[in-house]
Amino acid sequence: MNRTPNQLGRLRPAPEHFLTDAEIMAVKAGRRDFLRTSLQVASAAMAAPLSARATEGDPVILQLPEWTTTAGRPVADRPYGTPSIHESQLQRRQLRGLSKVAANSASFTPLQGLFGIITPSGLHYERHHQGWHDIDPTRHRLMITASNPAFIRTPKVYTMDDLMRLPPVSHIHFLECGGNTGTEWGNAMVPTVQYTHGLLSCSEFTGVPLRLLLEHCGVDFKSARYILAEGADGASLTRTIPMELVESGEVFVAYGQNGEMLRPENGYPLRLIVPGVQGVSWVKWLRRIEVGDQAYASREETIHYVDQMPDGRLRQYTSVNECKSVITSPSGGQTLISHGYFNVTGLAWSGRGKIRRVDVSFDGGRTWRQARLEGPVLDKALTRFNIDWVWDGESAVLQSRAIDETGYVQPNYGQLRSVRGSRSIYHNNAIQSWEVLPSGEVNNVQVL
Amino acid sequence: MFKYFELVLLAVLVSAVPTARAQDTFQRIGREATPAELRAWDIDVRPDFLGLPPGSGNVAKGREVFLAKCAACHGAAGESNAMFTPLIGGTTKEDIASGRVKSLSLRTTSERTMFMKVNTLSTLFDYIQRAMPWSQPKSLTTNEVYSVLAYLLNLADVVPENFTLRDITMAEVQQRLPNRNGMTTDHGLWPGASTNRGGIGNGGQPDLKIEACMSDCRTEIRLGPPLPESMRKAQGDLAEQTRAFGPVRGTSPRPN
Repeated sequence: MNRTPNQLGRLRPAPEHFLTDAEIMAVKAGRRDFLRTSLQVASAAMAAPLSARATEGDPVILQLPEWTTTAGRPVADRPYGTPSIHESQLQRRQLRGLSKVAANSASFTPLQGLFGIITPSGLHYERHHQGWHDIDPTRHRLMITASNPAFIRTPKVYTMDDLMRLPPVSHIHFLECGGNTGTEWGNAMVPTVQYTHGLLSCSEFTGVPLRLLLEHCGVDFKSARYILAEGADGASLTRTIPMELVESGEVFVAYGQNGEMLRPENGYPLRLIVPGVQGVSWVKWLRRIEVGDQAYASREETIHYVDQMPDGRLRQYTSVNECKSVITSPSGGQTLISHGYFNVTGLAWSGRGKIRRVDVSFDGGRTWRQARLEGPVLDKALTRFNIDWVWDGESAVLQSRAIDETGYVQPNYGQLRSVRGSRSIYHNNAIQSWEVLPSGEVNNVQVL
Repeated sequence: MFKYFELVLLAVLVSAVPTARAQDTFQRIGREATPAELRAWDIDVRPDFLGLPPGSGNVAKGREVFLAKCAACHGAAGESNAMFTPLIGGTTKEDIASGRVKSLSLRTTSERTMFMKVNTLSTLFDYIQRAMPWSQPKSLTTNEVYSVLAYLLNLADVVPENFTLRDITMAEVQQRLPNRNGMTTDHGLWPGASTNRGGIGNGGQPDLKIEACMSDCRTEIRLGPPLPESMRKAQGDLAEQTRAFGPVRGTSPRPN
């Protein structure tokens, strides 16, 4: 076996194959330096590939495992499939310290371990303003009304039967909380990409364009230039949405998510889809749309979801999520397993359209290289990017910078803070930095 | 016939078509809402107070209701941050006079109470009516909502102790909210028509215009303060939050 640690494309076996029992104990005891030690062990093992424990080769090859020598489990053993028991690390998690009331809180998507652009429905981030219910779909109604009776010919009530009879559309879109990355306005505050960027998910949603429903009710589009969307939860959360987005055909009422019905935590049986706009406007458990001639100044657009500027003014009705990206692996709280080749991967998105380009820096923003966009590049959807990197064992600072089809370039922290200060809470789309230490440990840092 | 139906469907989906077309095509779907149904769900109150139900409530009654139904979370004087962001605090008589909460522009405090931000009284009525109290939303009577709001306004020094809040006095009281002049819509994050065209905001113009530099972009790399160790520890064992195989591992906790 040639020792070519820096050769592109040559993947080494994972070091734990070469761990001794004592080292395994050390790992279990949570010793921080185990990887460094195991790297040395791995290197030694590579120099002499036939280790003392397995003189003729890898024991998992030489001694056939039980899955090769016994019968497996039957079909439909688990009628609704669940992930492997070996995938338990990737869970939605709360950010400890964020909220004292778990029904008024958020859970974060584990971006550090996901592939492609679709978020598994069970890992979609959550944000509830008064907890979630599993609503009986036969008792759910959507009412379409107007602030002034003159704005609508016939206010209507739709059942789920009604809505699911109408011709559906399916679109893939990202969904990002306006507060995503909100902890980081002042300085690096949370350790992993799950907590810095995990109020972000992307799904294929299926439902009925809202424009079709408003036309069906005979809405006067000339007079009614706003809609109010209202949920059926305890908070009956409301947000104002401009009629321009409805008229464009983009906004739809969705019942489907990734091929199945919405999950209860994501609004079952009906939620609003407002592509490019922050999550709070994608009203869950949608029960009512009111069309009107002015904005509504609801609690979620007056007391919260207002962006504080350096002069103390609060920006109201900030809705669009601007172009943003993040490297998801390697990322904070992870440790690289060896020197050599890594595929650096991440996500880019823009509320103003498609991603045009993503650049990656390995030296804290001195120089940049263009990354490969992988898979579909869709309007207002997550876009996966990849780039080759050969880690030489030195310190490095990894960053990604996205550019959308409008030409908008994702800002760094200096640029963003120059106009918005550091107390906005919302809409932080700054370039994220991950520092790689010689130990392989990756940390959340900010380049000033 | 089928072909005609398809054509109509396509027209409905891809272009702005007359309302009548949608109504003709999607027959037997949905039904007219009854007046009682419309009333039952139409609980929103707009900034121009459209939707505000007639009624009244005074500070004394509000105190009674608040202590019984609200204080457990918000504290007797709306000051508590034990469960939620405080309602009361951080505003001054000068703020009430100017309509701008001065401390929002100072870097001396990170406090942001509800009264430091709100600029429309309709918002508070609307929210208390639709979402409070926490465990029994929509259970307050209209006059209880007025009373609780009167009590909060008194705690914030917006109205005197003997005040009675009525539907017809809401607009007047709003003119004393400490941050009534503190909002701006001069930004590019509203996806609809701009203020100039009768809408909100600047028509989507970003507040930053940056060139994408590719080389020699910085001379020095200066890092900000490191992640506070307490914040790293607060999120549990990171080694258990990344897949146990692949190019990386979760970093194990640092020894104490």
